Amino acid sequence: MNGDGTVYARGLRKCYGDRVVLGSIDLDVKCGEIVCVIGPSGSGKSTLLRCIDGLEEADRGILRVNGEDLGFVETETAYRARNRKEVAMQRTRIGMVFQQFNLFPNMTARENVMAGPVLVKGVAKKTAALRADSLLADVGLSGHGDHYPWQLSGGQKQRVAIARALAMDPNVMLFDEPTSALDPERVGEVLAVMKGLAERGMTMLVATHEMGFAKEVADTVMFMDGGVVVEQGPPTEVLGNPKEPRTQKFLEKVL
Amino acid sequence: MDATDKPRLHRRGPLEYVAWAVCVLVAGGLAHTLVTNENYQWDVVGQYFTAPTILEGLRLTIVLTILAMLFGGILGMVVAVMRASTVRPVQLLASGYITFFRGTPVLVQLIFWFNIAALYPNIAVGIPFTGISQAVDVNALMSATTAAIIGLSLNEAAYLAEIIRGGFASVDKGQIEAADSLGMSARKKLFRVIIPQAMPTVVPATGNQMIGMFKETSLVSVLGVAELLQSTQLIYARTYQTIPLLIVACLWYLIMTLALSYPQSLIEKRYSLVKSRVSSEAAVDPVPLGGEAR
Repeated sequence: MNGDGTVYARGLRKCYGDRVVLGSIDLDVKCGEIVCVIGPSGSGKSTLLRCIDGLEEADRGILRVNGEDLGFVETETAYRARNRKEVAMQRTRIGMVFQQFNLFPNMTARENVMAGPVLVKGVAKKTAALRADSLLADVGLSGHGDHYPWQLSGGQKQRVAIARALAMDPNVMLFDEPTSALDPERVGEVLAVMKGLAERGMTMLVATHEMGFAKEVADTVMFMDGGVVVEQGPPTEVLGNPKEPRTQKFLEKVL
Repeated sequence: MDATDKPRLHRRGPLEYVAWAVCVLVAGGLAHTLVTNENYQWDVVGQYFTAPTILEGLRLTIVLTILAMLFGGILGMVVAVMRASTVRPVQLLASGYITFFRGTPVLVQLIFWFNIAALYPNIAVGIPFTGISQAVDVNALMSATTAAIIGLSLNEAAYLAEIIRGGFASVDKGQIEAADSLGMSARKKLFRVIIPQAMPTVVPATGNQMIGMFKETSLVSVLGVAELLQSTQLIYARTYQTIPLLIVACLWYLIMTLALSYPQSLIEKRYSLVKSRVSSEAAVDPVPLGGEAR
């Protein structure tokens, strides 16, 4: 498995009809860097992460994840779509955690975590099950392997979802508002798992409204509004001493 | 009696009494005529109810239903997958199929298949550009029973395709995104994620289609296939005991649909439970009532 763990973008643009959702985004995420993307709803945070996971396609611009152009190959005049197998391979190296968990309801927690390795990588079921149990233990859910998603709380589901993404050994992890759908008292347990992951050197892009988490864990905070990056820098600067009036206004409201 | 134990009684509107009166009158009248009108010939009904010809017809009806549902189900699944394809021509082919088979009467389709030899008297089965080919006489191939199975299956496939498509549509979009983000192939996504989750919607509806199909098979009597209805017709053409024999057919249809309804209701109950669990997975955690969470 090749490493890398970087995300690089230049002039990434996307429109829905007339509405600009991403207006020329530049990104330089180093290996092991934790980037928290903050901003109001509809600012393009989710769309940016979804583009990086290949769930949505940018209209124009350069997007390299793990050092490779995502989903396309650059030629003289255009970006040509890669074949499905190559795209799938690229995606296995990017982990995505969704706001609504999106666990497979027809599978137990263990089977959810095993799904990627077994169905995509062809790992033997026994090996995958052992690995799944150890991943579930890592996120504090040992003994929950046989539970179906409907038997788990929101925080537990989200931790299973994190384990499911980690089972593919990704080099980059994307979190799309991972705690926004949780009861307030369940937020902490998910953030704790993410913090542990950050400490182990995983490259992470996190769209979030949890300013405390951003302040404590992020190397870089990006403030997005209207599809553009308004301000970015270390949390002490962006959160502690924002220069842009739009950032100041947003932080006044959420803090 | 202690006031805390007293049951709460509700008023009955006058309409309910009227409805009961009408119900009793209709039932009584019906029972009266069934017993007193000798033209029903209940003795003849009893005589033919388990006659070998009738039972043979019933057997064929059951076989036709099973085969039509089986082939229709397989083809319907294929059409539904094609219909959900992102490749435009594949999608158009599937919707063209559905439009045609749902837009024309089954009875006409059945007669059409029976007479297909008039359109294509011979078909050659062979390997293109090799000269190896074998001509098949369509007239000999297309017996009434074959035409019946083909006609019913092709028609049912169109309806089942729509049911399966509805099942696909009921699967949350996030499920497909989760599978995509793991890098799952289209085939794995379909068989491991989409189809298992579409089942709670598809299975009960398919059960209903099966009950419908059981009665629909009576249409193939026009082709002379000796299923249940045709078997009774064969007898009353000889004996002129039309009404009692039609009653025999009706009773069998009724018994069989009732027999199918019971497992159907069990299936519906089971799958509605699965569905509520599945949808509660997609839903956000319930916010606790009151403020104790803070």
